[in-house]
Amino acid sequence: MKSLERVPDVLPSSIPIPSSVITVTSYLWFYMQRGFMNIPGAQYVVDYVAKSHQDDPYRTMIEIALIIYGIIYYLNKPRKQGEQIQPPLSLKEEELLIAEWQPEELVVQDERQNWRLGKVPVLAQEDDLGLYFTVERENGGEKYTGVLNMASNDFLHLSRKPEVVEVVEQTIRNYGVGSCGPAGFYGNQDVHYNLEYKLARFFGTENAVLYGQDFCVASSVVPAFTKRGDVIVADDQVSVSMQNALQLSRSTVYYFKHNDMKSLEDLLEELDQRERADCLPAIPRKFIVTEGLFHSSGDLAPLPQLVELKVRYRYRLIVDETNSIGVLGATGRGLAEHFKMERDNSIDITIGSLAYSLGSSGGFALGDNIMSQHQRIGSNAYCFSASLPPYTCAAALKVLKSMDEDNSAVRALHAVTKPLHTFFSNDRELRKFVVVTSNEHSAVLHLQLTMALRARLFGSTNKSVFDELSQLHARSLTNKYVEAWEQEELFLQSIVDRALQSKVLITRNAIALKHEALPIVPNLKICVNASISREQLLSACKIIKSAVLECCIAATTIAL
Amino acid sequence: MSSVSNTRVPLIAPEEISLEDKKENEFGQLTSVEFLVAPKSRGGAPLRDPILDAPPYYVSVITYLNYLILIILGHIHDFFGLKFPKDKHSEIMERDGYAPWFSKFESFFVRRMKKRIDDCFSRPTTGVPGRFIRCVDRVAHQLNDFFTYPGSTSMCLNLSSYNYLGFAQSEGQCTDAALEAVHKYGIYSNGPRAQTGTIDLHLEAEQYIATFIGKPDVIIFSMGYGCNANLFSSFLDSKCLVISDELNHTSIRTGVRLSGAAVRKFKHNDMKALEQLIREQIVQGQPKSHRPWKKILICVEGLYSMEGTMCNLPKLVELKNRYKCYLFVDEAHSIGAIGPRGRGVCDYFGIDPSEVDILMGTLTKSFGAAGGYIGADKWIVERLRLDLTTNNYAEPSPAPVLAQIISSLRTITGEICPGQGQERLQRIAFNSRYLRLALQRLGFIVYGIADSPVIPMLLYAPSKMPAFSRMMLQRKIAVVVVAYPATPLDESRVRFCVSAALIKEDIDYLLRHVNEVGEKLFLKVSSGKAGGSMDGKPPRWDIEEVIKQTPKDCKDDKYFLI
Repeated sequence: MKSLERVPDVLPSSIPIPSSVITVTSYLWFYMQRGFMNIPGAQYVVDYVAKSHQDDPYRTMIEIALIIYGIIYYLNKPRKQGEQIQPPLSLKEEELLIAEWQPEELVVQDERQNWRLGKVPVLAQEDDLGLYFTVERENGGEKYTGVLNMASNDFLHLSRKPEVVEVVEQTIRNYGVGSCGPAGFYGNQDVHYNLEYKLARFFGTENAVLYGQDFCVASSVVPAFTKRGDVIVADDQVSVSMQNALQLSRSTVYYFKHNDMKSLEDLLEELDQRERADCLPAIPRKFIVTEGLFHSSGDLAPLPQLVELKVRYRYRLIVDETNSIGVLGATGRGLAEHFKMERDNSIDITIGSLAYSLGSSGGFALGDNIMSQHQRIGSNAYCFSASLPPYTCAAALKVLKSMDEDNSAVRALHAVTKPLHTFFSNDRELRKFVVVTSNEHSAVLHLQLTMALRARLFGSTNKSVFDELSQLHARSLTNKYVEAWEQEELFLQSIVDRALQSKVLITRNAIALKHEALPIVPNLKICVNASISREQLLSACKIIKSAVLECCIAATTIAL
Repeated sequence: MSSVSNTRVPLIAPEEISLEDKKENEFGQLTSVEFLVAPKSRGGAPLRDPILDAPPYYVSVITYLNYLILIILGHIHDFFGLKFPKDKHSEIMERDGYAPWFSKFESFFVRRMKKRIDDCFSRPTTGVPGRFIRCVDRVAHQLNDFFTYPGSTSMCLNLSSYNYLGFAQSEGQCTDAALEAVHKYGIYSNGPRAQTGTIDLHLEAEQYIATFIGKPDVIIFSMGYGCNANLFSSFLDSKCLVISDELNHTSIRTGVRLSGAAVRKFKHNDMKALEQLIREQIVQGQPKSHRPWKKILICVEGLYSMEGTMCNLPKLVELKNRYKCYLFVDEAHSIGAIGPRGRGVCDYFGIDPSEVDILMGTLTKSFGAAGGYIGADKWIVERLRLDLTTNNYAEPSPAPVLAQIISSLRTITGEICPGQGQERLQRIAFNSRYLRLALQRLGFIVYGIADSPVIPMLLYAPSKMPAFSRMMLQRKIAVVVVAYPATPLDESRVRFCVSAALIKEDIDYLLRHVNEVGEKLFLKVSSGKAGGSMDGKPPRWDIEEVIKQTPKDCKDDKYFLI
C-alpha cells in the first residue's frame, strides 16, 4: 500500500508505473503548456478548445481524429484509381527493352505516288500580258513553249500593270525586301497599316488584320476566339485550311449538308433546343463556317439565307472568301456585293487572300474593331510571325486603289467566266463523261468525272474513297494509299498532259488526301483571267474538250 | 477601343538624303579591323551546364508585389467599371443574345495590364529596318485607348529588328536582284507550288539553301510560322511521340497539336531530364495500351529567341543516336547568325548536318527576305512535297523574295561581292560578344551564350519594362521589351537583337545610355557568377573602363562562362 500513496489515485493500482516516467511526463506537459501559452493568441485557442470540450466532449475527439486523418492523407502518395503497383524494372531489363525498340522510318516511301513530283510544272512568263508561258516538267525533261496559262489564281492581272510595278520598285528601293520583325516588334510599317485601312474601307468593314500567308489565316483566326464549349456549325465541304481551324478550335463542331439551308436550319433548331434544355450559366460563342466560292467544287454559298439563319439563331458567320474576292460582285468586293448586301452587317469574319485576285502575297481577316483588336493579341499567326514584306502591301494598296477607280478588270473577268461555264455545262458530248460543279460566276471551273464513269473506271464512289481513307486513319497506318483515288488522279493527269501537248495549261486541283477530313472528289481546274480574249478562250476550251473526250473515250473502250 | 479610322498611320514619304548617307544609315561602314571577331567552331564539344544568375531576394519580392498591386487595382477598376460606365466595356458583355468575342476573365491581363504599356508595342515604322529605324511618332490618348500621329518620325538606333547579317538594305546587290526579279517574274503567284506556282527561282533558291545548310534537299515556304505549323501533321499521328523543349516556339506547338501526336516536355536544355524521359517513354510506350511508340521525335530550337541560349547539339545527337529517336532543329534565329561560316548550329558545334534529321529555318531573319525552309534527306523531302498542306494549298514564295534569298546567300558564301559576307559574319560576332560582355561588366543580368546575337537583359519588375522602353525611345534607341506570357512571370526582360549593320561606336552609344537608365531604374543587380567577373565579386565597372577594355577582351573566350 505504500506505493499507492505516491501515485495519483486516478490510476488503477494494477498498473505499476515507475514514478520517474510520471515525473518526466508531468514536467514535459508543464513546460509545453507554458511554451504554448507564450505564443500570441494561444490563450484563445485553449479557451476555445476547453469550451467546446465542455459543451460536447465527443467533438474534441472527432476533431482530433480528423486532424490525424488529414495528416496521414497528406503524407500518402497520390495513386490513381485502379492503378496497380508494378515492380520496377531493373536496369538490365530497361536496356533490353530499349535495344528491342525499333521505330518506324521518319516518313514512309511509296513509289506509287511519286509520279506527282515530275508532273509539277515550272513556269516562265513569255509575253507582257502574262498569258503565255514556257512550261518545263520532269526536271527539265519536257519543255513546252507558248502555252496558254489557264491555271493561274491571279484572276484580275492587276498587279502586272506598269503603275503597280512602279510602286513595287519604289517600295523596294525605300524599304528593302523583308520587314525583319513580327507586327508587335517594329515589324508593321506604315504601308502595312495603310493597307489594313484600305482593305477595311474597300470591303466596308470596321477593321482588317494582315497575315503572312493565306493558308494560315483561318487556322489562326478561328482558334483565337473559340474555346471548349463553344459551338461551330460548318459546311461539310470546307477546305483543308478551315478543317485545320476546326481541329484547332477545341470547340464542338457540327456539320450541315453542303449548301443545304434546310439541313442547316434543322441543325440550328436542334442545337437551340438543346441549349435551352441545358440552361448554361453563360451563352457559348456560336459560329457558322462556310466559304464564298468553295475551294473543292467552286460552289457559291447562299449568303442571304445564311444571314437570315445566323441572325435568327444568334450565330456569327465566318466566310472564307479566298476564291471569291475580286471575282464576285460588280466591283469585285466579293460575296456580299454579289448578293447586294453590306458586308458589315452580314459577315462577322471574312477571310481573304492577297495572293489570288489581288495579285500580291499574304492573307487578311476583315471584321469589326473589337474582333480585330483581339486578333492582334490572341491570333498566333499574327503575333508569332514576321510581317509581310512591305512591297507586297504597297502593291496590294495600289491594286485596291485602282479597283476603286474603275472596275474594268472585274468586268473583263465577268465577260469570260460565263462563256467558260456555258461551254462546258452545255456540251452534250462532254456531259457523258464530266460534270461542272462550279458556279457560273466562279473564275475557276471545276470538272469532275461523272459518278457512272468513276464507278466504271475505278469502281469508286465518294463514299468508298472516304471510307477507305477513314479506315486507314483509324488503323493509324502511316502511308495512306487509296488505289481508286490514285487511279483517278492519274487519269485526270493524263487529260492535263494531253491539253499541255496542245499548248493549254490546266491543272488537277492539288489535294493532299491524307489531310482531308471530309469526303472529296478529284477534280480539274480551269481558270480564266481578265486579260484573256473571247477567241483565245474559245479555242482553248475546244482543246480542253478534245483532250477530255480523247482520254475518256480511250479509257472506256479499254474498260469494255 | 481603337478603330481603323482613328489609328490611321500616315504614309511617310522617304527622306531626301544623299545615297552615301542612306547607305550609311542602313549599314554602317566598319571603322577599324580591330572590331571583328572570326567566329570559331566548337569542334564537337558539348555546352557546359548553364549558369543562371539570380537577383537578390528583394528584387523578386518587389516584382511579385508589383504584379499584386496591378492585379488588385485592375480588379477594383473592373468592379466599378462594369457597374457604372457600362458602355465602355461592351466588348466583354453579352449583348443581344450574342456571347462576347472573349470573356472578362481571359482578357483581364490584356485589358488591365498590357493596355497600360501598349505604347511600347507595335510602334509603326517606315523605311529600311537597318542600322537605324525610322519610328513614326505617335501620341497616346486615354490610357492607350487610341493613338494619333502628328506625321513626324524619329530616327532610332535599331536593336529591335531581326536583321542579324544586315541584309535589310535598299541598296546593293540584293536589292538589284530583287528589282530584276520584279521585272522578269512579276510579284503575282499562279497558285500553290504543287499546282502551277513553281518558277525556276524556287528550284534555284532550294538548291542554294541545300548546299548552304549541308542537306541533300530543301523545300521552301512563303511563311516561317506556317512552315512549322503545318509540318508535323504530314508525318506524325496519335501513335507518335514528340519530346519538346519547354521553351519551343508557338509555331512548333501548334504544328504538333494539329498532328495529334502525344507531347512530353522537358526542362529547357536539361539533357539529363531528356535522357530520363526518353528511356521512360521507350520502356513504358503509349499510355493505357503500353504499345511501343511508332516513332519519337525530339524537337528543339537552335537559338532560343527569348533566352539567347542554344540547344546542346552534340549531346542531343548522341542521345538521338543511342535511343533511335529523330531530331528536329528549328534554326529560325541561328541560321546565318551563328557559326564560323554562318551555317547555323551544326556549323557552330562542328557537327555533320546529316546527324540532324530535319533542319528547319526562316529566311526572314538573317537574309532580309521572308518565309521558311525545311531541309532533310532527298527521299524525306520528296515525300513531304507530296504530303505537306503548305505545298499543296498555300501560296508560294514570290519572286522578289526568292531573288533576295539567293543573292544574300551568295554574298555570305563569297560567290558575289567577295569578302563582304565574311565581314558581316565577323561583325555580328564582334558586336554580340562586345555588347554581352560590356553589359555583364556593368552589372546587368544577361542570359544566353557568348556568341548569341540575341541578348536578353533582365528587368524583373513589370513596371520597369515600359520605363526602360520609353526612356530608351527618348534617347533614340529602339528596343523590344517582353514579359509574361512570352517569359516566366517574374522575368520581364528587354531583348537586344544585335546586327552586323551596327558599328562599334553605335554600341558604345547604346552602352552609355543603358548604363545611365540602368542606374536610374536600379537594374544592376548581378552577382557575377554567370559572367562579367573574374574574381567572383559582383561586377560594377565604370562605363569608360568598360568601353576601353571590352573590345579587346571580348575576343577571348576566358571572359565568358558559356
